[in-house]
Amino acid sequence: MKNMTFEPLRWQEDPVRVTVFDDPEHPQAYFQVTAPRDMGRICKGRPVEELPRILTMMSPAHHLVSAMALDRLFGVEPPPMALNMRQALLQTHVFRHHLRKLYFLISSRQNPFQIHRKGGSRGAIQLFPPHFLDEIMHHEALSQEAATILGGRCDHPLSAVTGGVSRFLKEGYYHRLSEIAQFCLAFANRLSEFFRDAVFGDGKLLDGFQNLRIEPMASLTLSKKDGNVVLTDSLGKEKDRFTPDMMFKKIDIYTASWTREPFACIQGSSENPGGKTGDMFHSEFPVPNPHFLFVGPLARLNSREALESSLAEEERQRLIEALGPFPHFGVVAAYWALVVELLQAAEKMNGLYVEEKLTGPAIRTIPSEIGEIGFAALESPQGLIYHHYRTDKRGIVEEIEILGTRTVNNALRCLLTQKAVESAPFREQAVKETQNRIEISLLPF
Amino acid sequence: MPNKKLAIFTATGCRACENAILDIHYQVSSLARFADIAFWPYVSGSQWKDLEAEDRLDVCFFSGAIRTGADREAALKLREKSRIMVACGACAAFGGMPGLINLPQGSTERGQLQQTTDKGQQSPEDGKPELPPLEPGVSALSQIVKVDYFVPGCPPTQNFLWAAIQSLVCNGQSPARISFAAARLPEAISQAIASGILPPGGTLFAGEKAVCASCSRVKEEKRFDAYKRPYEAYESSGRCLLEQGLVCQGITTREGCGGLCTAVGQPCRGCFGKAEAVFDPGAKMVSAIGSTFDSEDAAEISALVDDFVDLAGTFYRYTLPTQCALLSKPSKD
Repeated sequence: MKNMTFEPLRWQEDPVRVTVFDDPEHPQAYFQVTAPRDMGRICKGRPVEELPRILTMMSPAHHLVSAMALDRLFGVEPPPMALNMRQALLQTHVFRHHLRKLYFLISSRQNPFQIHRKGGSRGAIQLFPPHFLDEIMHHEALSQEAATILGGRCDHPLSAVTGGVSRFLKEGYYHRLSEIAQFCLAFANRLSEFFRDAVFGDGKLLDGFQNLRIEPMASLTLSKKDGNVVLTDSLGKEKDRFTPDMMFKKIDIYTASWTREPFACIQGSSENPGGKTGDMFHSEFPVPNPHFLFVGPLARLNSREALESSLAEEERQRLIEALGPFPHFGVVAAYWALVVELLQAAEKMNGLYVEEKLTGPAIRTIPSEIGEIGFAALESPQGLIYHHYRTDKRGIVEEIEILGTRTVNNALRCLLTQKAVESAPFREQAVKETQNRIEISLLPF
Repeated sequence: MPNKKLAIFTATGCRACENAILDIHYQVSSLARFADIAFWPYVSGSQWKDLEAEDRLDVCFFSGAIRTGADREAALKLREKSRIMVACGACAAFGGMPGLINLPQGSTERGQLQQTTDKGQQSPEDGKPELPPLEPGVSALSQIVKVDYFVPGCPPTQNFLWAAIQSLVCNGQSPARISFAAARLPEAISQAIASGILPPGGTLFAGEKAVCASCSRVKEEKRFDAYKRPYEAYESSGRCLLEQGLVCQGITTREGCGGLCTAVGQPCRGCFGKAEAVFDPGAKMVSAIGSTFDSEDAAEISALVDDFVDLAGTFYRYTLPTQCALLSKPSKD
C-alpha cells in the first residue's frame, strides 16, 4: 500500500492537506485542515463594536453579518440607505468570489501565466480564447473597485458598523458604480454563454467529472421570505424551519483527531439507533451521511426557490433542463450554480448601484444602550454563516460562536475528496492528475 | 537577463495577501514576462517536491503568521531556497491579528488555550493521519527566519505590492503603476526602485511618517474631554477622529495606506505597524492620549481613564508578537 500526501492544495483558503492511505481496493482519503482559526480566542475580551473589523479577516460576508449581529445587540435598525449599501457590497463580493472560482476552473488545465511567457503559448492546448483570462481578471478588478468604493477596502472591508455604515458615498462614485455594474452584467452574460458552450456542453474542462457526486446530503439555507433558517433534507424536501438564534440547538458540532476543523451535522442524528456510520468516517462520527450538511450556491439552488432575477432564472432553468430537477450533488451542477449566481449578483448590482438607493438623510442609527446578546445569519458567497455574541455590561465580548462555511462544508469536502480519489484512474502513477481531480472537485463548494 | 524565479506562499492566514497579489490591477499574468513562477501553491498547485527540485529561488513573498510546525518548516525551507525573502502583509511582518492569541488569557480561558495547544501534539490515533503540532503562540516570519524586505498592510495595498514586485522581481522594468507608492516611500528607496537597484535590506515598502501625515481629516487641536467608542455618535464630517474622542492610531502607525480607514470614517488600527520614530506603539498611544485630556482635575481624569477598554487588544491589534516591548520575542536579524 502506497500512501500519498497532497500538500498544499490549490485554491483552498485554509491551510489543508489530503492524506491518502492507498489500498488499491479501498483507498482512504483524509481532508485535513492543519491550522486552527482561533477566532474565539482572538475576539474574546475585545469591545463588541470592533468585531466587524476583526471578523472581516474571515471574509467580507463575515464583516457584514457581524454588523447585523451588532444591530440586534444594540437594538437599532439601520436606515434604508445603509441596508442598500451593505446589500450592494454583499452582491459585489458574490460576483467577485464566483468569478474568481470560475477563473480558477478555466485556468486549471493550462498555466495561467503561459500566455504572457516569452515564446507565447505554442504547444499548449487552447481551451479558451487568448487573453480570456485577462478579461476575467479585468472584470474581477472592476468588481474589486466597486467593493472598495462600498466597503472602504476590498478584501477586508470596514464600512459596515453598528446601526448602518460609516460614511456617505462621494458624488462621483454613483456614476462609476453604475458603469461598473453594466460592464459586469454584460461580461456575466458572455461568460455564461462561454460556459454553456465550452464547459457544460461538449467542453473538455470538466471531462471526467460528469459523474462525480457525493451521496445526497441535507442543506442549510436562509429563507428569502421570512429570514428563517431552512433545513432541507437529502431528498430536497423542507425538514425544519427555525429562527437563526436556534442554530446551535439544531446543529451539532463534532471534532476529530486528524483535522483542526470541526464538523456540523443535524442535531440528534448521533442518537439515531439505525444510523450507520458514514462511508468515510468509520466509527469516528456516529451519523449516516444524510445527516451531514452543506451550504453554498448549490445548496441555495437545491432549495428549489425560483430566482427573482430574470437572466439568472433563465440560466437556472437551463441547468434543470440539462441535468434534471433539483436537488443535485454533483461537481458539474455546483459549477453551474456558480454561473447562475454570478448572473444573479450582476443583475442585483445593476438594481442596487443607483443613486436613489445609495443616498439618504442618515448613514446610521446611533444606539442608546448596550445589549447583551447579538446574533445574525447571512447567505454569504460561500454559503450560510451565523454569528452569536454575548457581552458584559460594558460591551466586552464574553462568548462568541461562529458557524462558518468551513465547518458546515467540512464533511462535504471530506466525502468529496474520498470520491475524487476513489474515482481517479491509475492514481499511483498519475499523482498530478489525482491531485488535479481533488482540487477541481473541491473548488465550487 | 534571465527571468527571476518567484515563490508566493501563505502560512496560517486568510489568503487576502495572495489575493492582493492576484489582483494587482488585473495584470498578474503579465508577471510571467519578468518571472518564472516556480512555487505558488494557491494558484498553480505547486507541491513541496516542486520546490525541492529547484536549485535556487530569487524572491519569495511569504504571507501569514507562524502558528503550526508546518508553518515553521515552510518558512525554513523557503528561506533556505530564496535569495530574497519578503514578509508580505501584517501577519508575516508583525504577527497580525492572529497574534492576539498571545495575550495572556483569564484562568478559564487558559484551560481552553492548553487544550487547543495540545490537541495537535497528541499521538495520532491508529490508522489516522497526523497533524502538524501547534506552536505555543503566534510568531511573525522575522522571528523564525531572517527577512530581507517587508510589505506591511492587512492586506498590503496594491501600489506598494507593485512597488515591491517592480523593485525586487522586475528590476524596475515592469509597466509601473507606482506613482502613488513612490510618493510615499522614503526618497532613497523610490530612487532605488526607479533605477532598478535593490533597496537596502530591511526596507519596508511603506512611508516613514505616521498615518496622520497623509490622512485627509482636518486636525485642529488634539484635545478631548470624553472618550468615545466607535458605536457612539461622532461627527461624520472630516474632523480628526482622535480630536473627537475616538482611539485612532494614526499618530503611531506607519503611513502608506493614505489613510484608508480614516477616509471611511473608521479609526486607524495600525496594520502598517509602528512608524519609524516610535519604539512601542501601545506606550506611545498611552502617552499621546494622556497628553490630550482636556482636564487638570485628577478625579475627572481618573473617570475618563476608567472608560477606556481593551487597550492592549486595540493598540497591538496587528503587532503584538513583534512590537509590544513587554511581550515580543527578538527577530532573526
